[in-house]
Amino acid sequence: MPPETTTRTLTAPAAADSAAADFAAADAAVTDSAAADAAAEAPGHDELRRLEAGLDSLQAVPETPRGAVRRTLDGVVPPILLLIGLIVAWQAYIVIARPRPDLIPGPIDVFGALVSAWSSDRLQIAVLTSLERGGAGFLIAVAIGTPIGLLLAECRPVRRALGPLLSGLQVLPSVAWVPAAIIWFGLTDATVYFVVLMGAVPSIANGLVSGVDQIPPQLRRVGTVLGASRLQMATLVVLPAALPGYFSGLKQGWAFAWRSLMAAEIIAMGGTIGFGLGSMLQQSRELADLSGVLATILVILFVGILVELVIFAPIERRLLRRRGLMAAGLR
Amino acid sequence: MTTDPARTSLLTAPPASVAVAPTEPTEPTAISIAALGKRYGTGPLVLDDINLNIEAGQFVCLLGASGCGKSTLLNIIAGLEKPTEGTVTVASGKAAVMFQDAALFPWLTAGRNVELALKLRGMPRAARRPAALELLDLVNLADAADKRPHELSGGMRQRVALARSLAQDRKVLLMDEPFAALDAITRDLLHEELERVWKQTGRTIVFVTHNVREAARLGQRILLMSSRPGRVVNEWTITDTGSRRIESPEVARLGDEITDQLRQEIRRNAA
Repeated sequence: MPPETTTRTLTAPAAADSAAADFAAADAAVTDSAAADAAAEAPGHDELRRLEAGLDSLQAVPETPRGAVRRTLDGVVPPILLLIGLIVAWQAYIVIARPRPDLIPGPIDVFGALVSAWSSDRLQIAVLTSLERGGAGFLIAVAIGTPIGLLLAECRPVRRALGPLLSGLQVLPSVAWVPAAIIWFGLTDATVYFVVLMGAVPSIANGLVSGVDQIPPQLRRVGTVLGASRLQMATLVVLPAALPGYFSGLKQGWAFAWRSLMAAEIIAMGGTIGFGLGSMLQQSRELADLSGVLATILVILFVGILVELVIFAPIERRLLRRRGLMAAGLR
Repeated sequence: MTTDPARTSLLTAPPASVAVAPTEPTEPTAISIAALGKRYGTGPLVLDDINLNIEAGQFVCLLGASGCGKSTLLNIIAGLEKPTEGTVTVASGKAAVMFQDAALFPWLTAGRNVELALKLRGMPRAARRPAALELLDLVNLADAADKRPHELSGGMRQRVALARSLAQDRKVLLMDEPFAALDAITRDLLHEELERVWKQTGRTIVFVTHNVREAARLGQRILLMSSRPGRVVNEWTITDTGSRRIESPEVARLGDEITDQLRQEIRRNAA
């Protein structure tokens, strides 16, 4: 059926006299308002502006920002209270139940072990060595994982081929690589770095892939419509849009790097491998020094928390708040 | 109507010769579509034999029920999809597009969102900021330039999106149900805003909607599409250039007429 097209002219002023009476009345109103518009464009526009401004302020969500001090207190006080509570309970158990000190040392023994490790400089050396290796390993993992992730996210054949392998590697405990690494690299730092990379790279790459996957398709369409080239699309649209997912991949990558590092340090000792926190843990075990073991575990835990609190949490909070992705209660 | 038409018309009724002349076909063609057809894969025909000439500076509303392919047609004009047969020519090159969802980049402020469009258009860095502020002022949002999208209401976001589309400086603006997700009060204001911006900038606008009243309120030319396959079955031309209100009797009358036809088209699908 061909489209039957009728063109009608509504309310043309010139033809008004031929139109029905009620039409004429409407005409008059329309031409009248047109004339009024032409005559008083500015006031009409002003009226619209004020109307809009009024509606905007009605619809605006009032923000109730809390001060930085208050926010920090809210974040810091509850965990510290919990920590104190746990230590008190631990000490109370020691006092009341009196367990064998070589099996269950009290908080004071553990603190003593920390102090003696500090005074013999072992603690400082171990923390610095481990942090240095963890940090360097993490940065190398970022440098390797990011391009892999980008390739995986943007190139379908590569993803089909490599995607399952990378997910599998993420599940595989990276400690499993330690024996192989020792055979390949001997007792050197290369062994430690290799294990750290095998732990962190898949997490970082996968984080970037899921970040890219979660980009609303509409944003890419807007990029196309705005005339972005392939490179501009990647740098100005895809990467910034994928940032939250990428960042959580980085966080997970750090966690994997830190864990893998400890595992590698416990297993691979001696040679040219420096003295890290894992080595300190292993050394305490060989001396059957449970206080030393517990003290080292606490230090490892504390370093992990510190990196999260000082480096990742502030960046993440800023990232999410700027995009309005943060629940009101977490601000 | 807030004013009594009979009375005010006595006072200010212009002589017939003053009445603004409708835009005659002397205007050059902005978009021409010839024998356009579209199907996805081996599926049914989505668009069938669409022939259209849209004059420069015209405000065209594309109206139809769901599934009539009006958004597909818009995407084809925008170059986001390829037609299966026929041709689409946009005289001025590419077209700017605005979607139902404002789709602002959430990591950029309102001002930066507009600036990004200017950047992709190739405007030098120094000129972008003032140009973006000017565009935001055009949609009455100069004060919101430093706000982020999540801090803006739906209507404000849509206005930023409008400013961003205008930043592309393309003569043709395609709008895909841009106000469908807004509340009635906001939508009513944005109709006025859009009409003002259209008159001020002289853009050719193709506005896709499923809201009959909206089409009757805004369009100079209203195209009614049938569904499955999508064809243009009727069109109305409104030649007065004054503002209409969505509540006004002439909009209502035109709306009723279009609705009747639309329902007829929908009923045809019942069998």
